[in-house]
Amino acid sequence: MIRDNKFFIENPYGRWVRDNLFSSSSSAFLTFFAGFMVIYSYRGIVGFILNPERMWTSVTYNMKLYMILAYPDEAMIRVWLSVGLALLLGGLSIGFYNSGKTISLGGIFQKLFTISAVIALLIALAPTNTNVIQNDGSIEVVEIIPQDVRMLILGPSLVLTLAFFFLKNIKIKSLFNTAKVNLTYCGLIIASLYFIKIPTISLDSSGERIIPDPFLPIASTTYIPWTILYVGMLIFFFIGSLLKNRDIKIMARLIPIGWFLCPLFIFSWIFKKPLVELNTVFSADIPSILVFGIIGFLIIRFSDNQSLGAYRTPINIGFLVLSVVVFLLPVVFIFKATMVLLLLLLVVSPAIATTKEGKRQLFIVWVVSLFVLTFLIRGASSDTMLVTPTGSIFGGFSLTWLLAIFGTYASFPLGLALALGRTSTLPVIRIICTGIIEIVRSVPYITWLFFASVMLTVFLPSGVEFNLIIRVLILTAFFSGAYFAEYIRGGLQSIPKGQYEAANAIGMNPFQRIFLVIVPQALRAIIPTLVGSVITSFKDSSLVAIIGLFDILRIGTSVIPAQSQPVAFIGRNLEQLVFLSFFFWVFTFVFSRRSMKFEKRLGLGER
Amino acid sequence: MSKKAIVSLLILSMIAVACATEEAVEEVAVEEEHDHSDESTLDMVLERGFVKCGVSGSATAFSETGADGSITGFDADYCYAVAAALFGDYSKVEFKSLTSAERFTSLAAGDIDVLIRNTTWTQSRDTELGNDFGPTTYFDGQQLMGRNSDGISSSSTLADIDGLSVCTNAGTTTEKNITEGAGLVGATITLVTVEKFSEAMDKFIAGECDIVTTDGSALVGRRAVNDALNDWSIFPQSPISKEPLGPVYRSNDSKWGDVINWVVYATIIADEYGVTSANVDSVDTDALPELGRLFGANDGELQSVMGLDKKAFYNVIKQIGNYDEIYSRNLNPVGLFREGGANDRWTNGGLIYAPPAR
Repeated sequence: MIRDNKFFIENPYGRWVRDNLFSSSSSAFLTFFAGFMVIYSYRGIVGFILNPERMWTSVTYNMKLYMILAYPDEAMIRVWLSVGLALLLGGLSIGFYNSGKTISLGGIFQKLFTISAVIALLIALAPTNTNVIQNDGSIEVVEIIPQDVRMLILGPSLVLTLAFFFLKNIKIKSLFNTAKVNLTYCGLIIASLYFIKIPTISLDSSGERIIPDPFLPIASTTYIPWTILYVGMLIFFFIGSLLKNRDIKIMARLIPIGWFLCPLFIFSWIFKKPLVELNTVFSADIPSILVFGIIGFLIIRFSDNQSLGAYRTPINIGFLVLSVVVFLLPVVFIFKATMVLLLLLLVVSPAIATTKEGKRQLFIVWVVSLFVLTFLIRGASSDTMLVTPTGSIFGGFSLTWLLAIFGTYASFPLGLALALGRTSTLPVIRIICTGIIEIVRSVPYITWLFFASVMLTVFLPSGVEFNLIIRVLILTAFFSGAYFAEYIRGGLQSIPKGQYEAANAIGMNPFQRIFLVIVPQALRAIIPTLVGSVITSFKDSSLVAIIGLFDILRIGTSVIPAQSQPVAFIGRNLEQLVFLSFFFWVFTFVFSRRSMKFEKRLGLGER
Repeated sequence: MSKKAIVSLLILSMIAVACATEEAVEEVAVEEEHDHSDESTLDMVLERGFVKCGVSGSATAFSETGADGSITGFDADYCYAVAAALFGDYSKVEFKSLTSAERFTSLAAGDIDVLIRNTTWTQSRDTELGNDFGPTTYFDGQQLMGRNSDGISSSSTLADIDGLSVCTNAGTTTEKNITEGAGLVGATITLVTVEKFSEAMDKFIAGECDIVTTDGSALVGRRAVNDALNDWSIFPQSPISKEPLGPVYRSNDSKWGDVINWVVYATIIADEYGVTSANVDSVDTDALPELGRLFGANDGELQSVMGLDKKAFYNVIKQIGNYDEIYSRNLNPVGLFREGGANDRWTNGGLIYAPPAR
């Protein structure tokens, strides 16, 4: 009947239905079966969510706990500064890397049509009743969506669907930049904070619950910071666009470096006191920058000096011995750290500082890294000033982010080093790297977590003990580093031998060959795998609940279901699980969609 | 700048990160190297200026984490009371939320000064693990809960659960107690073990098991929350296990142990005299010499010998309240009442008793 019906042959929609859903009798069966399953589960989920037994205020009331655990209120500005830094950088990047892709008004209406049609369909399919289990074990049927409410939502959404259906065919030539359209969507979300009301609970000054619960705008305390940050993001978007139009090349380097340094700044802002003791700055930091700046300048200046050629080996060995001596001497730590950096410069400079331009650039890099190093060491060595009632600063979603970002961030260079080491021709390095990779990868993550929490203290000298979160971070870096190493090795092996030979043929040294020819191509080939592993580490971070850290999952499953005061949320764990699964889904979904676009831009899979 | 320059900057920065982390570790190490092994915890805590108290952080009404991250509850109030006695300021507490697996390790390692985490006093924990237990603050006991519609009533016994399925949380003594108890009376039960008590409750509500068992306090709380006073019954009348809950500290440190013990006793003595945080200022210490000694109204010698301020216990009562206040504030809202139970005053037939202050 479908095969011969005129509608299913001539109408484009009808033909789509015939070709995709009912092309044969078996596919028609599959369509019905799958459709039944989807609708059945959807009705079940809606019935569960709208069940009068559920108490969703347990989620909304505890939102701050979910996000930052017990981060002190008076220090909240640090959290906002961190979020703001990321957003401003994001705005700048969107503006600067704007691909100029456009979407027509019809295209926008096409999207809106799809969305409103889906909403109308979901409303129409939603169940009217659901089962509530009574205390005595009997089951009562309760109406959750009365007919009039359904009509009230269904009517407007159907009207909108029809309107968008006709609007999308209008031929209007005006085109909109996709980046701007997406920013507008973000703006709409922020604006919704002002008027969308989500039920939560409010208490009066004596801690008594105000009855009846007023419908408060969700996150009534956060919409002002969000608005400010959004405006800032818009400003930076336009600055980025301006810089792109002016064709300022330096930004193409500064933005990635900014993204690279951003987590470090955020870490020091959230965790440390931003206190600078001028005494140490003048007595240790500035002299060290000056002294090492001059030494670095001399190294760069004379690195290709022919008359020094004979003395190069003695000079290198001399610096090595000197740095070992400095490391053992009781000097300020910053000298020790900079000494290591200097050794690296000594190794790198003959390869880069071959021309006048190269020397100039290397010197800039050297001075910048001296400043960065000094800043980091000062930041990391100051005590945290924050005192929280639970004794732990990190918890909830901020801990999840910390583990996911730091896991990726620290494990990437580690994985790269391990992968290069594993493919090295030097047996010692190869065996050590292979050993690390194989040992780390062959033991489950949970076991390593227990190792970090319980056994690591046994291996460390007595009296030495450091924060559990730092232990877990180091371990996470190693664990994902080992996996990254294997992915990167796969990428390295996909590079044809001709690339190595070509690099050799034009006279590149090993350093240049690896970092200018091989690694960029290898990384490009494995981006989808890396994204997958980042998503995995984001989800895996909830495992740290096992060793007693308050991650978002532990807050949802143990902490909130135990609250009896001021509002009793005892036993409300199902709501938390539903919320958490939705929450994780949103983040991983957005992330994977963005990475797909990124892959497309790089042209992966097209050659 | 060329690509080379960027690559080298990245590498230099990575090393910088490594160095920065190392520095942070070094700092902590130096801080921890100060050895306190031969010092009493009391001196250490007084020197530090705040007390580190190990709690659960997710035990309803005992130590729960509020929406703003603050910790409240019966156990938490005793942490505050210790701080009030030591520093005259109850807020000088740093809480550490511990799982049941890590609580004793944490205490032994010195991460916390005192563990007040609804911990049952048992022989092995007292003797083998290097802990000492303070006075019991709450007498709990394992009970069972079933539906009235299944023929269960508050006068049921273990023999009545023959053939029924029982839900409990795994890995604790509750599982062992119910198996042993059912075996003694010859009842065959199907044991369904889940990880958390809240999951056991979910299964019970969904009808996947007929009986749920854990400590009586939790059962009463859940029955009150689910508004099932007439539908669910808790039995047997006398619990199938004894669960005395109280503070725990490291053994061989009686100076510190005395402080904890007498903070608890002070709240109980104040309750015996009916002294609350509201009327503690108007107590006639001449007519009641025991309270005079306890609150340091006279010379306060007893407290000074302990290494405390003479007003230490006055501060406890003034800032936190007596035993009854702590109990009512935290446990009444979840349906746990003192009257007629083991946690009533000894003069009313309960077990809450303190040695005299003199």
